[in-house]
Amino acid sequence: MKTIARVLLILTLGAAPAWAVLGEYESSVSLDTQFMRGEDRVISAEGYKLHQITSPTGAVVTEYVSPEGKVFGVSWRAPVIPNLEKLLGSYITPVQQAAQAQTRRRGGPFIVRASDLVFVSGGHMRGFHGSAYVPSLLPKNVSAEVVR
Amino acid sequence: MTLQRHSVVPLARLLAVVGGLIFLASCGGSSSSTPITTTPPPPTTNNSVDLSVNLGPTAPTIDYYNGLFASVEVCEPGSTTNCTTVPNVLVDTGSYGLRLLSGAVSGLSLPAVTDSGGNAVQECIGFISLAYIWGPVVQADIHLSGESASSASVHIISESPQYPVPSSCIPTGPVGTPEDLNSVSTLGANGILGVGGFPQDCGSLCADISTAPPQYYSCPSGNCNITAVPTAATKGQVWNPVALFSQDNNGVLISLPKIAAGGAATAAGSLIFGIGTQTNNALGSAQVYGVTDQAYFTTTYNGTQYSDSFIDSGTNTYSFLDSGTLGGIECADAPGFYCPPPGSPLSVTVTNTGTNGTTGSVTITIENADSLFNTGFAAFNDLGGDSGNSPSTDYFDFGVPFFYGRNVFVGIAGQTVTGVSNVPYGFWAY
Repeated sequence: MKTIARVLLILTLGAAPAWAVLGEYESSVSLDTQFMRGEDRVISAEGYKLHQITSPTGAVVTEYVSPEGKVFGVSWRAPVIPNLEKLLGSYITPVQQAAQAQTRRRGGPFIVRASDLVFVSGGHMRGFHGSAYVPSLLPKNVSAEVVR
Repeated sequence: MTLQRHSVVPLARLLAVVGGLIFLASCGGSSSSTPITTTPPPPTTNNSVDLSVNLGPTAPTIDYYNGLFASVEVCEPGSTTNCTTVPNVLVDTGSYGLRLLSGAVSGLSLPAVTDSGGNAVQECIGFISLAYIWGPVVQADIHLSGESASSASVHIISESPQYPVPSSCIPTGPVGTPEDLNSVSTLGANGILGVGGFPQDCGSLCADISTAPPQYYSCPSGNCNITAVPTAATKGQVWNPVALFSQDNNGVLISLPKIAAGGAATAAGSLIFGIGTQTNNALGSAQVYGVTDQAYFTTTYNGTQYSDSFIDSGTNTYSFLDSGTLGGIECADAPGFYCPPPGSPLSVTVTNTGTNGTTGSVTITIENADSLFNTGFAAFNDLGGDSGNSPSTDYFDFGVPFFYGRNVFVGIAGQTVTGVSNVPYGFWAY
């Protein structure tokens, strides 16, 4: 499940001062101290590209960017859940609302399917992972399955 | 405030005395006795804690399904009298360390764990539900049956925090969003006893300020910043107390009885410390599944491998796949739960594969969640829900339903279990 299909070329490898925000342009900046000293790998795939930012704190955040330059998806694997407000931007609102409305499920995965957002959070202590994407921003001929 | 742990020692002494009397009686009649040089076997430590599955401390206002609850005794370090027994602590194999609501230990004076700057250490833990808990790390003696973890670091979940929660540690961002679990009504328990497969709740990352994630903080002059906390067994990170025991410290066995499809009002089982260390915790026929450095193994369903799978007594459902993949079985009125037609349970057979190459199949059976909730019962072996949105995000979380009718072992990373090798990050066995 982890192989990224049809990855064409690793373009650059360098320091990442920040990450971009879901739904915003790739150039948007949202400082997060956890990632200030991170390493950014830019990978080009068919119909999109992705930034894979690895922080010294053991977290990996991946941002999926459309040919128009917009971030249509994000994912993370980390020992501690990253600050999702900084990762999701305005898309945090439906996630917050759903988080407050949870009932009866305990300790298990957390999934939100809002009008234009699909969000999943899973794992356990010392091994968290999750992702979010905006269906209306998916590039042509790119499946939501690439966001993982 | 009941003190039960001391009953073990007098019992052991009583047995020794009785044994001695039998010895004397058997030798008394002999005039040509030879000297006995063998020493008696050491007294067996009581290594078993009762587990109860019930609707939890917030019922009937909020019912807790498939919650595994135990009582934990904590004492001021070195004291045998300044102690309290906290009931309804959730037993969680998906976390590491003891966390207790501040109100449950308000009668004790527990010394703060401090960082290298002498400031009291605070901890923030985010959950995958995006809720969090926050409060100081203190030292306490933890007593579980006859086992003890002395001067262990314990996380106190503040019901009235001394310091505001740093926004960097709240998964959803802004301070003030009501997603904290800092009360019994939101946590659903008086605390969490994390007995998963790691010794500490963070490890080497948190011991170095250059790699420390937003988990441990200190708050000089009121401003909370990330701080480094060593992995040391005392005055360091929060430890899985089992790894601190002087014996029976290589893992745990959770044993729950088989229950009927459709549930049981309650269930009673045991949390047993140690693996292969006493007569009651032998691996027996259990198969050992090694896990990754993030405590995962691989579950294969319909030819697809789900590599982020695990067993978790802190999850109250089988959480796996997604409603779309399973043909649209999400409950209309209980998002995330599965509702196959009542009386026509869903059955899914999967194969688990450990990092050590062990494979074995498991059959998961799921009944209509609405029907189960209507029973008023607490224990269900067939309660299920989704884990993701589609195959790329799905995994298998074998929650409490998996535990009924099984002996499930958790081997702690780095500890030795007789007959088990090639599992550097610990294992599950069942």
